[in-house]
Amino acid sequence: MDRKNILKWLKEPGKMGHKYSLWAVYFCTGCGIIEIPPTITSQWDAERFGVIPVATPRQANLFMITGYVSVKTLKAIIRTYEQMPEPKYTVAFGSCPINGGMYWDSYNTIKHIDKYIPIDGWIAGCMPRPEAIFIGVTKLWMMIDKGAATGYIRYRKNYKFYRRNQEKLFGKLPWPPLYPVDEKENKNG
Amino acid sequence: MNLEILMITAFGGSFLTYLCGKVSSKVRDFFAVFISLILVVFISCFYGKSQTIHYFNFFNLPLILTINKLSWLFAIAVEVITALSVIFSLSYMKNKEKLDFYYFIMLVVNASMLGIVLSGDFLSFYIFWEIMSWSAFLLISYNRGPALKAGMKYIVMSIIGSICMLVGIISIYTSYGTLNISQISSQISSASSDYILLISILFLIAFGIKNAIWPFHTWLPPAHSEAPSPFSAVLSGILIKMGSYGFLLILYIIAGLNLFLELFIAHWVLCWLGAITLVISTFIALLQNDAKKLLAWHSIGQVGYIILGITFGTNLGFAGGVFHIFNHATFKSLLFLTVGAIEYRTRGVRDLNSLGGLIKKMPITFFGALVGACGLIGIPLTNGFVSKWLIYKTLILKGHPFLAFAALIGTWGTILSLYKFIHNIFLGQLPEKYKDVKEVPFSMQFPIVILSLIIILFGILPGIPLKVINSIAVSAGFPSLDVSIWGIASEKGALNMINIFATVLIALVLMRLVFQMGEKRTRISQDNNYAAGSYIPVDKYNYTVEFYQPLFRMIKPYFRDFVDEFYSKIVKAGRTLSDRTRKIYCGDLGYYVTYIVLFLVILIAIKLWGKVW
Amino acid sequence: MVIKIIEFIFSPFLAFIIGVFFLGLFRKIVARIHQRYGPPIIQPLLDVIKLFHQKGFSHGALFDLGLILSLAGSIVVVLFIPFGGICPLKSSGGLLVILYTMLFLPLGIALSGGEGANPNISIGISRKLILCLGYEVPFLLILLSTMSFYRTISIVDIVNSQKNFHWTLFSPLFLSGIAYFMILPAMLGMRPFDIVSAPQEISSGPAVEYGGKYLGLFHIQHSFSIFIMIALFVDLFLGGGENIFYFFLKMLTIFFIMVLIHSVFPRLRLEQALRYLWKWPTIFAFLGVIISKVVR
Repeated sequence: MDRKNILKWLKEPGKMGHKYSLWAVYFCTGCGIIEIPPTITSQWDAERFGVIPVATPRQANLFMITGYVSVKTLKAIIRTYEQMPEPKYTVAFGSCPINGGMYWDSYNTIKHIDKYIPIDGWIAGCMPRPEAIFIGVTKLWMMIDKGAATGYIRYRKNYKFYRRNQEKLFGKLPWPPLYPVDEKENKNG
Repeated sequence: MNLEILMITAFGGSFLTYLCGKVSSKVRDFFAVFISLILVVFISCFYGKSQTIHYFNFFNLPLILTINKLSWLFAIAVEVITALSVIFSLSYMKNKEKLDFYYFIMLVVNASMLGIVLSGDFLSFYIFWEIMSWSAFLLISYNRGPALKAGMKYIVMSIIGSICMLVGIISIYTSYGTLNISQISSQISSASSDYILLISILFLIAFGIKNAIWPFHTWLPPAHSEAPSPFSAVLSGILIKMGSYGFLLILYIIAGLNLFLELFIAHWVLCWLGAITLVISTFIALLQNDAKKLLAWHSIGQVGYIILGITFGTNLGFAGGVFHIFNHATFKSLLFLTVGAIEYRTRGVRDLNSLGGLIKKMPITFFGALVGACGLIGIPLTNGFVSKWLIYKTLILKGHPFLAFAALIGTWGTILSLYKFIHNIFLGQLPEKYKDVKEVPFSMQFPIVILSLIIILFGILPGIPLKVINSIAVSAGFPSLDVSIWGIASEKGALNMINIFATVLIALVLMRLVFQMGEKRTRISQDNNYAAGSYIPVDKYNYTVEFYQPLFRMIKPYFRDFVDEFYSKIVKAGRTLSDRTRKIYCGDLGYYVTYIVLFLVILIAIKLWGKVW
Repeated sequence: MVIKIIEFIFSPFLAFIIGVFFLGLFRKIVARIHQRYGPPIIQPLLDVIKLFHQKGFSHGALFDLGLILSLAGSIVVVLFIPFGGICPLKSSGGLLVILYTMLFLPLGIALSGGEGANPNISIGISRKLILCLGYEVPFLLILLSTMSFYRTISIVDIVNSQKNFHWTLFSPLFLSGIAYFMILPAMLGMRPFDIVSAPQEISSGPAVEYGGKYLGLFHIQHSFSIFIMIALFVDLFLGGGENIFYFFLKMLTIFFIMVLIHSVFPRLRLEQALRYLWKWPTIFAFLGVIISKVVR
C-alpha cells in the first residue's frame, strides 16, 4: 500500500486518487447483500481503505455486482452503471456472474454478465467473506496501478456490442444510447 | 419648464391616447410610450430646482403645485415604473379587449400620482388622490370575474380612508383658515398636542389603508393578484407608496421632527405596526400557491420595512426607509413583470403547483426574477441590501433589539418564499405541455433587463441615490450622513460596497479557474436523472406541491389572515342586520297601516307623559 | 501593503486547510468511537483529488454557476471573519455584512441544485431552508444581544473587547453562549440535525446529481462552511485568540465536542428539530437579549 508515497502522488495524482478513495454505489444484487454491511462497518472496516458507500451512482466510482443477477435487476444495473462518471470500475463477487454458478439452468438469471456490463475483477467464493473482498480491493489497486482496469474504456469502445446484447434481452430500451451508435446497427434491435 | 405644462401633458396625453385609439392601435401604442418617455425627460429636467405655481382658484382656495427634492424623487420613480409598464403592456395586452380604455386609465393613474406628489395644498392633494383611487379601481377590475370582487374590496376600503382624510382636511381648514401645506407647517407647532394627535390619526388611517399596514392590508392580496400584470407592477411599485408619501408629508413636513418624536402614537405605535406587518406578511407569503398572491403579500411586508425605517426617527432610518421605497418599486415591479411574462407564454397559468423548469426556455426572464428576488431578500451587491443595512444598523445601535429581530426574521421569511417562487417556476423538471414555450418578445424583455441593471447598479454604487436622499433628510431636520459613492462612512461600522464587490468578483474569477482545473464534464438532459436505477416517470418527477410541508403544518394555524376574517365577520353581521331590517317592507297594506298607527300612538304618548319638547 | 495581500491570499487557504483537516478528523474520531481504525486524517484531501479527476455531468449553465457562486461567497465571508490576528476586510459593515454574505452559501447550492431537476434535491433544499429558518430565530437573538451588549456592529470591536479572558461566555451574556452552543450542530449540519444530507432518506439531498469536480467543489464548500460557523462562535463568545495557534486550539475543542455529540445522537425529523430549536435555545437567547438591555 503506497498511500504514503508523496512522490507518486505528485507525479500521477489521478491514478493514486482513484486507488485510495474508491466510492462504492450502495447497490447490492443477489446474495452478496449480506456480506456488504459487515465489510463497511466496525469489525472489518472498509473505510480505512478509503472505500465508503455512497447513495447515488453520480458520486461513485466502484460498482459491485454481488451475486446472481436476475433479468429485472440487470435493467437497473445497466442504468446505474451508465449514470456513473468515468473512470469507473466494476467488481463481481461469486461464481454466478461468471457462468451462472448455482443458477446455471434458471430462466430468470443472467449467465454471463460480461456480455452486458464490463467487469474488471472477479472475486471467488459463494459469497466471499470480507477478508476476500479486501484482497479483491487490493488486487484492483494493483490493476489500476498497471493501467489494466479498463472496463469503462472497453465499454466505450465496444458500445455497439453491449447495446446490441442489452436490446436483444430487453427489447427497446427507454433510455437513449450513452455513446453514439451507428444507424444501421439499430435495425437488428 | 413649468409644472403646469407637466400636468397638462400628463392628463392631456392620456385623453389623446384614448382618441388615438379610435384611429388605429399602432398610433395609440406609439403615443402612449411617447407620452411616458416624454414625462420622464420632463421630470428629470426638474432635478435640484424648486418651484411653486398657483394654478387655479377654487372658491377662494388657491390650488398650488410645488416641487422639492422629495417630490422629485417620488415623481421620477412614478414615471420610470409607469413607462416600463407601458412598454411591457405593448406585447402583453396584445390580444385583449378594450385596449384604448386600458392605456387611457394607465396614463390617468400616472398623471394623478404625479399630481399627488406635486401638490402644494390639501385640496389638490385630495382631488388627485381620489382620481388615483378611482382609476386604479377601474383597472383592477379590468379582467372580469374574481377581479370585480377584489376591486370592490379595494374601493370600499379606499373610500373609508378618503373620508377620514376629508374630515382631517376640513378640520384643518376650520382651525387655520388655509389649506396651503407650507403655511400649515409653520402654524401647527403652536397647536395643542391633542389636536395634533387627532389630525395625525385621521390622516394616518387614510394613508395606512392605501399603504396596506397591518390592520388595513386586507384589500391588497386579491387586488394585486387579479389585476393585469403590468398594472400590478404599477400598483405594488408605486401606488401603495403614495401612502408612504402621505406619511412623510404628515410626519416630517407638517409636524416636523421634534413634534413627531414627542407623539407617542406616531412614533412607537407606528414602529411596532411596521414590525408586525413585516413578520406576519412575509410568513403568510410562504403559504401561498399563487405566484401573484405571494408577491402581493410581500408588498405588504416590505411596506412594513418602509414604515419601520421612516418612523424610527434617526437619519439612518429615514435614509433607509426612503431608499427602500425606491428600491421596492424596482424589484417588486420587476417580479410582477416576470410573472406577467410567464403568464403570457403559458396562457395565463400562474399557479405555482403546476409550473416548473422554465429556465431552459426563458433564461432572460429567469435572470430578471433572480435579480429581483435577490434584491427583495437583501443579498449584498443589490440595492435592497443597502437600504436594509441602514434600517438594521439604526435599530441595533439605538438599542431596540426586538424591532431589529422582527426586521431580520422577516428577511428569512422572504428567503423561503422567494426560493419557493423561483424554484416552482424556473427550476426543476420541465412539464411536457410547456415544451414549446419560447422566450418573451423584446418589448417585454426590455423593462426586465433595465430594472435588473438598475438594481445591480444601485447596489454597487449606492451613493448615487443616497446623495439625493441625504439632502432630503437634511431638509427634514436630520443631521447629515457621510455619503460617498460606494457607501456610507460612519463611526460605528461603515459600509463600503466597493470592498464587497471587488472581493466577490475576484473570488468568482478564482473559483472559475479552480473549476476549470477539473476534468471536462458532459452535458446531460433533464431525463438522465437519478431515479434509483429506473427511467424517470415523465411529468411526475417534480417536487412543487406543498414545498415547505413540515413548516406548513407548524405555522399554518397561526399565520392566517385574522384581520380579513374579522372584517368578513363585521360585513356578515351588517348584512344580517340589514336583512332583518328589510323584513319591515313586507308589501302587505295592513302592516303598513299598523306601523303608521303605532308610530302616532308613540308620538302622542311621548307628548302626553314625557317632557321632551 | 504586501502584508495585506499576503493576508488576503493566506486566509482562504488557511480556512480550506483547517476545514479539510476537520473533515478528516471527524471521520477518524467517529471511527475510533465505533472501535475501528478509520481512514487516515488526510482522506478528504485524497477524495477531493480523486473527484477532480473524474468526468462529471452537468445539467446546464446554472448548475456550474450556482456552485461557483456559493464558493465565491464562502471565500468572501472568510475574508471578513477575524481569526488569530488576521482580518483582511476590517471595517466594511461588520456583522450584518457577514450575516448577509453568508446567504450566498445556501443560495448558490439551491440554485445549482434546482437546475439538477431531481425531486430529492428540491426536498433537500427545502429542508435546508426550513432548518435555516429554525436556527436563525435563536441565532439572530444571540447576535442582537451581543451587538447591543457591546454597542457596536463590527466584529473586530467585539473581539478586541474580550481580551484578557473577559470572554462573553463569562460575562452576564453566558445564556446567549449556551444557546449558541445548543444550536451549533444545526448550523454545521451534524447530527442530530443532519436532516439535509440524509443519505438514507433522500439520497444525500442536494448532492444527488453532483459527480466529479462538482462534488469536489461541494466538499470544499462544506469544509468552508464548517470553518465559518465555528470561527464565528469562537470570535463572538470565546474571545477570538491573539494568534492563530490559540484560535485553532479553541476551534479544535469546540469541534471535538460537536463530533462527540454527532456520534451519539440519532437524526431528528424536521418538525422535532424545529420544536427543539424554537423552545429552549430561543428562550435562553431571549433572556440574553433582556439581560443585555438591562445591563447596559
